[in-house]
Amino acid sequence: MIEITRRQTVGYRARIVAYLLALVMGFACTSLLIWLSGASVMEGFSALFEGAFGSEEAMLQSLVAATPLIFTGLATVIAYRAEIWSIGQEGQMFAGAMSGYFASLYLGGAPMVVAVPVIILAAMIGGALLGMLCGWLKSRFAVNEIISTVMLNYVIVYFLSYLLAGGPWTAEGSTSYHQTALLADNFRLPLIVSDVKLHIGFLLAILATVLCWGILKFTPFGFEIRALGANPTALRFKGVNVARTILIVMAVSGALSALAGVSEIFGVNYRLKGDVLTGLGFTGIIVGMIGGLNPFGALIAALLFGALENGSLYMSVLSDIPPALVPAMQGILLLFFLSASVIVRYRVRIRRASYV
Amino acid sequence: MTSPTLEVTALCKSFGSVRANHDVTFSVDAGELLCLFGENGAGKSTLSACLTGLYRPDSGEIALEGTPLRLSSAADAIRHGIGLVHQHFVLVPDFTVLENIVVGSETGLFVDFASAEARLRQICESYGIDIDPNARVEDLSVGEQQWAELLKALYFDAKLLILDEPTATLDVEGSKKLFRIIDKLKADGVAIILITHFLEEVMQADRVAVLRQGAVVGIKKTAETSPEELTRMMVGRDLKRQTRQSTPMGTARLALESVTVEGLGERPDLDDISFCVHEGEIFGIAGVAGNGQRPLMEVIAGVRKPKSGIISLDDTVISSKGVHAIKSMGLGHIPEDRFAEGLVRDFSIEENLILGEHRGTFAKGGLLDFRKMAQNAKRLIAEFSIAAPSGETLVGNLSGGNAQRVILAREMQLASKVLLANQPTRGLDVGVIDYIHQCLFNKKAEGVAVVIASSELEDLIALCDRIGVLFQGRLMGIVDARKTNLEEIGLLMAGHALETAV
Ligand SMILES: Nc1ncnc2c1ncn2[C@@H]1O[C@H](COP(=O)(O)OP(=O)(O)OP(=O)(O)O)[C@@H](O)[C@H]1O
Ligand SMILES: [Mg+2]
Repeated sequence: MIEITRRQTVGYRARIVAYLLALVMGFACTSLLIWLSGASVMEGFSALFEGAFGSEEAMLQSLVAATPLIFTGLATVIAYRAEIWSIGQEGQMFAGAMSGYFASLYLGGAPMVVAVPVIILAAMIGGALLGMLCGWLKSRFAVNEIISTVMLNYVIVYFLSYLLAGGPWTAEGSTSYHQTALLADNFRLPLIVSDVKLHIGFLLAILATVLCWGILKFTPFGFEIRALGANPTALRFKGVNVARTILIVMAVSGALSALAGVSEIFGVNYRLKGDVLTGLGFTGIIVGMIGGLNPFGALIAALLFGALENGSLYMSVLSDIPPALVPAMQGILLLFFLSASVIVRYRVRIRRASYV
Repeated sequence: MTSPTLEVTALCKSFGSVRANHDVTFSVDAGELLCLFGENGAGKSTLSACLTGLYRPDSGEIALEGTPLRLSSAADAIRHGIGLVHQHFVLVPDFTVLENIVVGSETGLFVDFASAEARLRQICESYGIDIDPNARVEDLSVGEQQWAELLKALYFDAKLLILDEPTATLDVEGSKKLFRIIDKLKADGVAIILITHFLEEVMQADRVAVLRQGAVVGIKKTAETSPEELTRMMVGRDLKRQTRQSTPMGTARLALESVTVEGLGERPDLDDISFCVHEGEIFGIAGVAGNGQRPLMEVIAGVRKPKSGIISLDDTVISSKGVHAIKSMGLGHIPEDRFAEGLVRDFSIEENLILGEHRGTFAKGGLLDFRKMAQNAKRLIAEFSIAAPSGETLVGNLSGGNAQRVILAREMQLASKVLLANQPTRGLDVGVIDYIHQCLFNKKAEGVAVVIASSELEDLIALCDRIGVLFQGRLMGIVDARKTNLEEIGLLMAGHALETAV
């Protein structure tokens, strides 16, 4: 007879073992997919690994790919810890990139030390405002945040399409590319390692991780976020303005998402276009969940996913494996990680059936 | 000789270093009512969880009608005919009563709601429980939710029924009704385990098992024991009842003038309420549950806003202020539903004790002051004898009575001018009730205006200076607690007006 009982506490070691197991199982499942697609499993994985960690350059490139995911992952952590189920990371990231670009239009020849901070700030404000809109709809009219954020994602993404497909921001002569003109040098995020475009956004992401962790753990605001997630009624009875807390949480989450947009546009691509951003917000949700809604967990998950993303490029060049397999793999990993995080709370024992 | 319905032998259950049940041995026969009696944290709820498959005992045996039993889940227990009414409800608020009962218990893919409803109505009728199967649980009062929980257990023909503090949330009438149901079940041969802190109820059982720190310290036939002996067994000493002290009352401290609060339906939740509470006065609120006690507390605390009328504290109008501002003036509020309104289950005792003060007293330089939080918790844990391994223990892991003490500790501290207490001693063992009453008298001596709503009329009469009676949101009358009696209050509670006003 198999017995399943709930554990009272879950130790760190059990957690790590469970997650490693999930990783192995995830890769095993992906192997099956690769095998089914007719490609060589060994070849595929070695190419993936090569591309992600094969050289110093590859590793740095993985960090570049991880940067926006750290931001959207953190955005997820902050909102979900308060049990606000925002799916708006994608739209807020777009809004951030767009606000940053909008600001840059007025910055002309301002020196970089002025232009870049202003762009970052403008982006954060843009993302925050979009987040707050959903927060306000939630607390004022009880509009479900899942619905409002998903809807606004579409609105923002299509608004950018309009702006870039012949609209006011379209670069001259490149209507069919749906992109703006190249950004001037003074608007670009300074690079830490120039060959691979590792930009200061990565440092900001690390800083943001530490800040989010500190806020959640050490500040009264973090206390409110956690309490809001666990029991909003008790919070209201103790005189905390729950509507305001929701607004602030959504503002912070939106601002973090916006930084993902800034990283990709002003740190890597140097022009505003939609397709380079697409999906980074949604992947951030997976990253946050896999990270157990813990900032450092999200950081680790983002690094893993950045490496996957980066390695997959290499893999698709070097083997016959379709690149679409990478999102599939991310999905599979999410399922295994989430299962592991639930299963680890239970103890499974096998007993001989000596009783009725 | 037939074997007893339930036989428990040497059952042990620990949580880390806490021995919640230790070497527990007892039995219950068919048609017998056994009472579990013991202090908060003695292990009563843990024991019932072990008997219903929610916890797995570390060791020991459970036998049902002579057959050893190893339960793997609550559903398993139901299959074996063991029903449990939880101390803290496990109902889904969005679901109707019927859905709550059927979902997760009916097997098979499709549920036959029509026949389930018919069966439920028939049960309601035969036991005289007046509840609409199609009412949504969140719209029910705490007392009605209690009936819904009981229905859940009655829905399956149980051989053994365990009731964990059902009467804590019922009023006098409700408790009487419950005992009539119990008698009927007994006649049908059901074995019943009842957990309660009320001695009058304990004395109605056939036998009593007294628990202390996880162990059974004695099993007595009620016919051969007395409330005094049981109390002594439970707390290890004699209790003396606190008596009212006549401290002089000061000037009016808390005043309500024609306060009306809107309700969901036609009838307002509070209808033109006016009264005032003086410095050093304990003002009782009596009434059948759901007649406005909760809205009254909430409107004074600022959680709800009055539609009209004025509330003032020491001549400052507070009805226009927010919860935080009112609280900061020195008001403590002990809400009715401890886990829904008073506490965050997933937070530690330390964290729950600073809820609301996390931006004030317990913040330093923008950060939480962990040292101060720990000191505060340590002091209050000692002062209110909260049974917990440490201040970092999650409140969700505390026994019901100990969780209640956390709220009491927090709110008593805040109440330098007004203390609102809705059923403050619900679920507390007789030992602490005594202590809480002492605390209330101390507050009274400090000049605090205390408003206390309770379903224990005798307690109210013993504690209060004056008692106001609510009926359908209206204040039927205010009586002098020294001159009134149960009959007079009972009439007012039933909606009969007072002939001689005080
Ligand atoms: N899940 C848990 N984890 C850790 N400790 C627990 C858990 N459940 C109960 N305890 C501890 O076990 C002891 C017994 O608790 P239990 O809830 O059985 O008490 P009780 O007799 O029902 O008390 P009350 O009258 O207050 O409801 C308490 O000290 C409690 O803190
Ligand atoms: Mg209990």
